[in-house]
Amino acid sequence: MSNNILDFSMNRCTSVRAIDTTRLKSECTLRDSFTDARVEIIVAMPDLTISSVTGHFHHAWLRESDTLGPVFDKLVDVRVGPGMLKIIKGLVGEAEHLKELTYMVEECCHGVILSLTKKVLLKAPDDEAAKADFYSNMVMESIRLYDRCAAFAKGTPLVEGYERRNP
Amino acid sequence: MLEFMRSKRVSVARKDPETFSIQAELDDSIYSLGLSLRVRIRDLKCLSIKGEWRRWTTPECPRALGFLDQAEGFILGPGIEDRIHKTLGRNACRHFANLLIECAQVAQATQKMVQWEQAKESAPDLTLKAFMAGNGSKRPGLTAGGDGVPDSREGSGERPGIQVVENQGQPVPVPEKPERNNDNKLGLTPGNGFMVDLHIHTFPASACASDSAGAMVAAARERGLDALCLTDHNHVWPQRAVDSLMDHLNFRIFRGNEIMTDQGDMLVFGFDQAIETVIKLKELADLVERAKGFMIAAHPFRGFLTFGTGQLGLTPQKAMEREMFNHVHAMETLNGKVTQKENLLAAQVAEGLGLPCTGGSDAHDVSSVGRYATRFNDALASEQALVEALRSGACAPVSFFT
Repeated sequence: MSNNILDFSMNRCTSVRAIDTTRLKSECTLRDSFTDARVEIIVAMPDLTISSVTGHFHHAWLRESDTLGPVFDKLVDVRVGPGMLKIIKGLVGEAEHLKELTYMVEECCHGVILSLTKKVLLKAPDDEAAKADFYSNMVMESIRLYDRCAAFAKGTPLVEGYERRNP
Repeated sequence: MLEFMRSKRVSVARKDPETFSIQAELDDSIYSLGLSLRVRIRDLKCLSIKGEWRRWTTPECPRALGFLDQAEGFILGPGIEDRIHKTLGRNACRHFANLLIECAQVAQATQKMVQWEQAKESAPDLTLKAFMAGNGSKRPGLTAGGDGVPDSREGSGERPGIQVVENQGQPVPVPEKPERNNDNKLGLTPGNGFMVDLHIHTFPASACASDSAGAMVAAARERGLDALCLTDHNHVWPQRAVDSLMDHLNFRIFRGNEIMTDQGDMLVFGFDQAIETVIKLKELADLVERAKGFMIAAHPFRGFLTFGTGQLGLTPQKAMEREMFNHVHAMETLNGKVTQKENLLAAQVAEGLGLPCTGGSDAHDVSSVGRYATRFNDALASEQALVEALRSGACAPVSFFT
């Protein structure tokens, strides 16, 4: 049956750049067999609030979003951090043609968080034992990491210290 | 300068007339991983899934691969995202979960494509747009629901999602900014006073909680609290239900509500309107003011000092400039779900702004009920008394149960 020709392709790219010492620009582009879309957010530091959102959305059958300004304006001042996904969805609403855009804003926000995470991870030592200590200390510092994934699951080596301290 | 880049690629081919073969890659500045799936075209059932790490961070990340098969049998249709987050995201790795969600979206879109091709066999001129219009143009969903039309509330002048359910609150004086509370905002050891856990979630009123109100009350009584406050997410407890619980359990229970705003979560008291979606903080502040209620910024710095974002150099002075603090009556400076550093920053900011402070466990199950509480000088016999005591500032957050 298969002719090895793809039925569908999707490519999504998110990149984060520092505009200056107080602002980050995060951009998400999506190209797939139906969609050509782009969202860009600018985030003010140090408290990581969204100061602007722009973008476009073209789709093979969904309504073209040619008046996105008011939708994006709702997101100004929202903070990038825990709880942001519910806030973004709640502010933008559940209209069908906006779901992808909401998702792309979320991707931009995740990009910002991961860009900051990267800077911390660069400090991890090369030595395996020291590296384990580094990540164990990370769990101690941020209880939200505990039992949130396989690496930090209850009873696993990296959380032993945390569990000893919090029996 | 480029600080971070993430590329995701998903492609779908038909392995046979019944099955999609999906290949997916996620490659970014930190992680590199891949997924390979077989998905039944008819119902998008995940028949098999295999994962591969190429780059990862902690020595334990490879454990995630052992949990990927939890997705076998998932129907990758609209609304599957929450299930993926709660299974793969929690048990395996959120980056694998993120990529599987992309696979689900692409599978849904490809299924539409296949259905359109089949329809064209009997109607060669049928365009994709016409097919989708006549076929209930449900967008391959990122979340469940959606009606395919713009939000009818937009531009209507109505406040979205606000419905008055009941208003049984007693009339109380217009709240004023209380006098500054001079008690130790970093948490006192419990002593004399009336101890209330001001921040409690229960199941099923909060879907994220796991224990009932009755179980939470039992834990509160066992640990020596004098009262607790039900603050389920965007949920208004009927007064009759709470009265019944109090009678049955012989324990003081107050009603509150944790309402999500564009500036974060707010604990409100003496306010009976049901807010069913995200609301602008200023708008909520006006409503609470009109109802003569009381509003506390819940865990105001949750996540601000998470590793990574904690490197940003957010000082108490800078944090005091946040506009949100102009709209709240108090700050929760002891919250059981944030780090000590985040609680400390909240206390420093509250002190700098002269805002009263409260404490609450934010418990979602019995294990953490009473971890933090708020101490009042006098016993509180009613919700009105609670609001008045909060407004007077005669309260302090305490570390209560460890």
